[in-house]
Amino acid sequence: MAAEYNLQDLARNWVERGRSMAGAGTQLEIFIQEHRGLTVTAYNEEIEGLRYSHNRGVGIRAISEGRLGYAYCTSLDWSDVSRAIEEASANARYSTPDEHNILPGYSDYAQAGLDIYDAEARDMPVDRKVEMALQLEGLTCAADSRIAQVESAVYADTISTVGIANSAGVSGSYRSSDCYCYVSPIAKQGDESQSGFSFDQGIKPSNLDLSKVAKDAADRAVCLLGAASTPSARSTLILDTFVAAEFIAILASALSAEAVLKGRSFLAGKVGEKIANEMVTLIDDGLLKGGPSTAPFDDEGVPSQRKELISSGILKGYMHDSYTAARSGTSSTGNAQRGSFRDRPHVGPSNMYLKPGSGGREDILRRVGDGVLILQVVGAHAGANPVNGEISLGALGLKIEGGRPVQPLREITLAGTALEFLRDVVAIGDDLNFMPFAGSLGAPTVAVENVMIAGRG
Amino acid sequence: MIEDDTARRVIQAALSRGGDYADIFAEHREGYNLRLEEAKIEENTTGSEIGAGIRVIMGESVAYAYTNDLSEDSLLETARVAASAVRGGEKAPINLEQKWNMLPVLGEHPIEINLEDFAREDKIALLQKADEAARSAGNEVVQVIAALGDSRQQIFLANSLDEIVLDNRVRVRMVVQVVAAREGEVQIGYEAPGALGGYEMFKRFPPEKLGHDAAAMAITMLDARPAPSGPMAVVIGNGTGGVLFHEACGHSLEADAIHKHASVFEGKIGRKVANSIVSAYDDATLENRWGSFNYDDEGVRAQRTPLIEEGMLHNFINDLKRSKRDQVAPSGNGRRQSYRHVAIPRMTNTFIAAGEAKPHEIIADTPLGIYAKKLGGGEVNPVTGDFIFSIVEGYMIRQGKMAEPVKGATLVGNGPRVLQDIDAIADDIDFDTGMCGKDGQSVPVCTGQPTLRVRELVVGGTAEVV
Repeated sequence: MAAEYNLQDLARNWVERGRSMAGAGTQLEIFIQEHRGLTVTAYNEEIEGLRYSHNRGVGIRAISEGRLGYAYCTSLDWSDVSRAIEEASANARYSTPDEHNILPGYSDYAQAGLDIYDAEARDMPVDRKVEMALQLEGLTCAADSRIAQVESAVYADTISTVGIANSAGVSGSYRSSDCYCYVSPIAKQGDESQSGFSFDQGIKPSNLDLSKVAKDAADRAVCLLGAASTPSARSTLILDTFVAAEFIAILASALSAEAVLKGRSFLAGKVGEKIANEMVTLIDDGLLKGGPSTAPFDDEGVPSQRKELISSGILKGYMHDSYTAARSGTSSTGNAQRGSFRDRPHVGPSNMYLKPGSGGREDILRRVGDGVLILQVVGAHAGANPVNGEISLGALGLKIEGGRPVQPLREITLAGTALEFLRDVVAIGDDLNFMPFAGSLGAPTVAVENVMIAGRG
Repeated sequence: MIEDDTARRVIQAALSRGGDYADIFAEHREGYNLRLEEAKIEENTTGSEIGAGIRVIMGESVAYAYTNDLSEDSLLETARVAASAVRGGEKAPINLEQKWNMLPVLGEHPIEINLEDFAREDKIALLQKADEAARSAGNEVVQVIAALGDSRQQIFLANSLDEIVLDNRVRVRMVVQVVAAREGEVQIGYEAPGALGGYEMFKRFPPEKLGHDAAAMAITMLDARPAPSGPMAVVIGNGTGGVLFHEACGHSLEADAIHKHASVFEGKIGRKVANSIVSAYDDATLENRWGSFNYDDEGVRAQRTPLIEEGMLHNFINDLKRSKRDQVAPSGNGRRQSYRHVAIPRMTNTFIAAGEAKPHEIIADTPLGIYAKKLGGGEVNPVTGDFIFSIVEGYMIRQGKMAEPVKGATLVGNGPRVLQDIDAIADDIDFDTGMCGKDGQSVPVCTGQPTLRVRELVVGGTAEVV
């Protein structure tokens, strides 16, 4: 395999050489990413699929008199990179000027103590990782006699290296590892089947607690067996941590300054207002120790930072990158994100989470007494609108009476607006959990009162 | 991209623990994307990608590994990772001296104006012309977004059947979307032509016309009245109406859906599934069509596959793995978004064949109904074929004549049922381009059909029942 190269030095070197080609009037940014990923899927005691990826490439932003051009290539040879720099510069000449197109300047980065890389993720042989997927499937099947099948049991990891430099003085690099596993079993009883899901995540394979994931996923499927609908009524909802994290996704979209500037956020114009119960503090922390999206700097080289976007119910501000910050007359919050080197940066969350309160789920159920524990929501993408904040989702859960589950529920929908939900929060637990997919969004168990639940019967 | 000898050693490494089949797919893709919004160039990006993916199939298990580093060391390591999915197999014998069978390089889709012969400023001018034409179509136009993309994809494929296949695909597409507003009412119009070919496409689709037509659609729909609801005859316009067949029937004809028991067409080959006036094809050989190619992404020659002929179901849409399992010939539909994805059965240019009626005769023969000129997004349950589609440009048909535009209408029905209920087909076949998404992969496709009538469909509107 290619020798280890220093992406930071490479980026800096290319910026220097590129500048002498493109001329001093052109600002240049070089973003290099190298990414190795493995995904193993077990099904029926066999390996149904294995995916391995080795992705690398260079993204180039060129800005000339406010005109922005972009180019990328997957080759790390100077001959190809220099051609891409020429393309980016040429594209810039033909773009419409916008004075807010700027590159950030030099910063010092915190490197120590972020806890984002462990060599075990790289060094563990593929065969061992394959065994972990098979083991997860086996443990899940064995967790409960009503587990009829496992839809998929997955082990996955990625190791990423990022290097960045720009002509305004930015220069940095870091390496991170991210391992996760998940399983979705199907529980059967008579003609009825219910699915469950659970996962775990860490910076090395041995962080993953397969037994705990297997048991949690099986419990989540089995506890829904015998589910029925329920008459429509207003009720207190207790949102499971996975479900609460899906609601955080709506806030993450609406708190982007890009969405605000384009008129696509229900939180536009509300800075300084009380928009939530004072229990609610929402944090975006790019420096969270061991967090899935933790990095010393964001995808354009602005230092990562911790900030409260909602503080004791008050909206404090939005997430910015350099562009939206320039347009809004403020500073970047270190929230520039890109899908890959193929994309120029856009605003997005790092590790965004609801600050934990006190007590576990059992404790919250006791405090609430009567209500509905929501374990799964259906249609979170179609049914939750970050532009106007309207939420209408299908759901599965458990009816709670006297603090205990009494009946599994299906074919119910919950509806309201994100602002109503934020206002009507009545309890937040201490069991913070991060969701694996849509970035890194976390929440503890959350109780919300007076929500319309529609059902049949 | 990859030396023949290297390919042989990579295939050998891929099968080092056994396996039924292995292949290596490499591509070099260069692309350019422009987007104009609020009369400003918002996106101006050039991309160049090289990569290779190695696949090992063993029974139902598929391992896939890819890399951007095409050095032999990197390819061999990538192949060995793919091989680690195979458990309990035996090393497959590979003869390193065996000669490759080089399949002929084809050029069935002529290019008149190559991508590099069309200057950046000319590309930008296309967007500006569309933008200006749309804005001058009426004061109601409030927003115009125009996007242009071109790409050249060279592919190399070598497999354990000793074949090497090369193909070269050049594509151009433009999308114009116009928003018109009047007194709180907002409507959208769009045009989106594309071709497997070069910039000569704009001779057939002048940007001024694209901008004007998209704007005219949005403005026309501002006058639309709420659609009625209830069962009625529906005449579906040529071109874009083909999306209904693509979504509500086409995906259910893909062999992976059949094998997952997720299709109403399972076990129906040789049986009558449609009215006998209905024939439908998937055809990747259509000259310069957006969904065409010379070879598919598994190295199988492009072909015209009869899906339904005179109402009888003939073939499913398959790839190598599924054709082997079904013991039928590969249909040349193994496609992938890029070297980062595994090939799966996908449609190419899928269409209902032309009939003999004239479009105006079909309208004249319809006392009351809806003319769905353009269909928008839909949702289909692949297991049952039940669908719901929105009509983005629609008109009432009254006493055999086109009448007022209607808005907010949806079509609710069932794919297989619609095939039985098509009772008139015109001779004006046309095609529309799209990007079809499935299993997280997006590939260029055409949907096509002539003007046709469905005896009865449920129209979901907001006005009174007819």
